[in-house]
Amino acid sequence: MDDILRVEGLTKRFGGNEVLGGIDLAVQTGEVVCVIGPSGSGKSTFLRCINLLETPTGGRVLFHGQDVTQLPASVLHAKVGMVFQQFNLFNNMTALQNCVAGQVRVLRRSRAQSVEKAMFYLERVGMLPFRDARPAQLSGGQKQRAAIARALCMDPEVLLFDEPTSALDPEMVDEVLSVIRTLKDGGLTMLIVTHEMAFARDAADRVVFMDAGRVVEDAPPQKLFTAPENPRTQAFLARTMRG
Amino acid sequence: MPQSFFGWIEFLLRQYGGLFLTGAATTLLIALVGTAAGFAIGLLVAVVRTIPLRKDAPAVKRALLAAAKGLLTAYVEVFRGTPMIVQAMVVYYGASQYLGLNIPAMGAAFLVVSVNTGAYMAEIVRGGILSVDAGQKEAATAVGMTHWQAMTVVVLPQAIRNILPSVANEFVVNIKDSSVLNVISVTEVFFMSKSAAGTYYRYFEVFFITAVIYFALTFTFTRLLRLLEKKLSGSASYTVYGSQSSHRAEIEVPVDPGKGGRDG
Repeated sequence: MDDILRVEGLTKRFGGNEVLGGIDLAVQTGEVVCVIGPSGSGKSTFLRCINLLETPTGGRVLFHGQDVTQLPASVLHAKVGMVFQQFNLFNNMTALQNCVAGQVRVLRRSRAQSVEKAMFYLERVGMLPFRDARPAQLSGGQKQRAAIARALCMDPEVLLFDEPTSALDPEMVDEVLSVIRTLKDGGLTMLIVTHEMAFARDAADRVVFMDAGRVVEDAPPQKLFTAPENPRTQAFLARTMRG
Repeated sequence: MPQSFFGWIEFLLRQYGGLFLTGAATTLLIALVGTAAGFAIGLLVAVVRTIPLRKDAPAVKRALLAAAKGLLTAYVEVFRGTPMIVQAMVVYYGASQYLGLNIPAMGAAFLVVSVNTGAYMAEIVRGGILSVDAGQKEAATAVGMTHWQAMTVVVLPQAIRNILPSVANEFVVNIKDSSVLNVISVTEVFFMSKSAAGTYYRYFEVFFITAVIYFALTFTFTRLLRLLEKKLSGSASYTVYGSQSSHRAEIEVPVDPGKGGRDG
């Protein structure tokens, strides 16, 4: 099997504070892996170390067997896309321009080609009618869908989601999750940090439970949610599934 | 000779009107060029100073970057920490005495005002960059943009809008502070006034006119810049797409998505 992503002994410390204490994880092509765990367990930092938004302190991240620190930044970031909790759409651009900018500047695509691709993905996330809207004019759910389209326009092989629905009103969560589900159907490899347990249960191929900067349990959702082995996983799930 | 205050004003205007006008034009030119060039310098300095120093970068690259940043910090501190009048003297006479360069006074004026303004602008732009949410730079990085691209395409367009009032302020400061360039015989409006006043020893009347000229210049331009600012920040009200409380927010889905979009 081809591991599209392989993380080996990844550590990260901020000053004296160890946030990641040696993470090992392999993701196969087409796999959807959800990362769950309590706040402050290092989930976001882990994700940000993969595409080098944070510089790892130790260990390696391999993309198709190649150390990501050896890859040119433009290649790494185009191939490993990211969707943020706070959307981070470019505020000085319309939804369409958000999707075009990276293609033109980073991939050196022609403007016409970029617009065509942007329109395609904006339609796929249901944002085509809002293509000329600026972020200030969009709801949270719309912003996040546009941000997903922006990431898709770079033709990524892996998409990292950093709590994509945590900043959304409850009624907007579903519109974003359903977009992510269609991406799974399209066969895109995704690593999703989320607090949406129901989503993780039915959309993920594997669920990883993280606590205190380590992977505590890594199992298919049916197993992890119904028969978790580790007591910490059990305690966490008992707390979060109660509601 | 005139007897009254207004008599003198009229007399001096008739006698030296052209002098005042060319002086005012020179002042305005220096302020315009100095502010524009200073702004460009400020942008460049701020972009370089915000390059992230990554610990895993090669040592040579890190050392070079640290040196460049150190130099730029020194530049900002030195030019903000000394008076422009002294900078003018040092540049103008230093160039002729030690470099054998007889730069024209106007050239020295442009240089000194630009470089001096650049030091202030560098700090203003840096503040503007800090005012833009860090997520914007991160998102630009995450689609693969370089620091330069992220800055020019995403961050600076937002930062510049935020700092426009401060930039306008620098322009007004330059209209007034270019008066110090009279020490190197730049024929701006203060220099012209001095020569006009000296002939008849009417310092009060002449500099009353000078004050009016300066005020007319600064007031006109603050108003103009305020207008520009309003234009750039756009309309204060906008419609949220999909809003159900406004008919203007209705969404029209184009029949043929391929033809619905803008070209290029």
